[in-house]
Amino acid sequence: MYTFRYLKEFSLKSLPIIILYFLAFNSFEGVKAVPNFALFSFNLQMIIVYFYILKYPEYLGIGHVFFAGIINDVVIGTPLGASSLSYLVMCLFTSYIRNVTLRSKMTAEWFTFIPAIFFSNCIFFIIINNFSNLSFYYIELLRNSFFTFLFFPIFYFVFKTHQMRFKEN
Amino acid sequence: MSDNRDDFIIALRYSLLKKGTKQKFSLFFLIILSISIITFDRLSIPPIKFVRLTINDLVYRVTILTATPGKISVYLGSKIKQHLYVYRNNIALKKELELFKKNEYEISFLKTENENLKLALGLEKIKITEEDTITIAKVMIDQRSPFLKSLLINKGTKHNIIKGMTVFSKNYLIGTIIETNYLSSRVLLITDLNSKIPAIIQNSDTNVILAGKGDKNDFNLEYLPENFSLIENKTIFTSGKDGFLKTGMPIAETYLDKNSKVKIRSLADPQQASIVHITKGQFKN
Repeated sequence: MYTFRYLKEFSLKSLPIIILYFLAFNSFEGVKAVPNFALFSFNLQMIIVYFYILKYPEYLGIGHVFFAGIINDVVIGTPLGASSLSYLVMCLFTSYIRNVTLRSKMTAEWFTFIPAIFFSNCIFFIIINNFSNLSFYYIELLRNSFFTFLFFPIFYFVFKTHQMRFKEN
Repeated sequence: MSDNRDDFIIALRYSLLKKGTKQKFSLFFLIILSISIITFDRLSIPPIKFVRLTINDLVYRVTILTATPGKISVYLGSKIKQHLYVYRNNIALKKELELFKKNEYEISFLKTENENLKLALGLEKIKITEEDTITIAKVMIDQRSPFLKSLLINKGTKHNIIKGMTVFSKNYLIGTIIETNYLSSRVLLITDLNSKIPAIIQNSDTNVILAGKGDKNDFNLEYLPENFSLIENKTIFTSGKDGFLKTGMPIAETYLDKNSKVKIRSLADPQQASIVHITKGQFKN
């Protein structure tokens, strides 16, 4: 019998997955939809993938990351699998960081996010340039990556606070 | 150096192949799958194309669904804005309505008061019709005859001037048209001996005939009831009993002369009139 409590708990635990799919379906890019804040657009999917694979991999399956990437590709019109591979590369890098880290620190994790974004975007660009005829505004993507890096601590704090309730349980 | 490289390879291999808790797929498998999808997508083989189109359709449908909350929030936002605007507008309109209601009551009161006053004066309700159009005319000749006090004006039948029309100067009745030509007319002034105007005295129901005596400061009241004493500062209005002059037009007033005798004088000065207004009814500004 699925009680309301169970459903609530399940929804809260699946929150990163829900957000990830929701963002993929809506091709969300931070505050780009807000006219005056388009400059501060960032990639929340990357933050979620990086944070959860690094800190709480049991809450975000890489299968979901893969599917979210596929959906994202369909929505934004990039070659199918490009975003998936990009996210998976980020997962690979994050997983490696997790394996080699003994004592995690927020600042250290924040700065390791730079190479993670770099490798992820690098793979994405390689695919775009070699498997499609699409062209991108590189400056815009660079800016997007920069603000993704910059806003990481905020979401780190938000997601950490959210996960704290499960730790207590 | 070699140890470091070994550590790196071990960590990487672990990351790629190790399935974590609750992980159904290994990273390696998914990366290979992604690369395969990219390759197949690039090759555009018909079955792959079909799969791609199906996925596209499915995802687009779901995208529409997931975008609905956003659309609803935008819609609600605009509705709330609209509601607030209507609400503020409603408050302003309510205030305005209150003001208009207040004014209406005031107008209603004044109207009633006016009607009561007219009733007290015995005046009929004034009906302004399309016929009450005003014609402006210039006085051509001012007849200073001791017997016939009249004016000649530069408007005649060409300008729809007919006999019996009333002539005003500075809002006061000065006479009636007694003769019409094609381009000119004659106005018999109220000061003339032949002018007999049915009138009523202010604050009384006494009907009299106001007759001219050739002087604007001296009028005669005919058919005054017996024992009626005329007092000063009373306005004399037309009673409309003759049928062509409208009721309630002020024409003269009573005053005390040097000898303390009550006399009647015209409110208008017909001899000074240079521009006159001709109408069928009562003159209105």
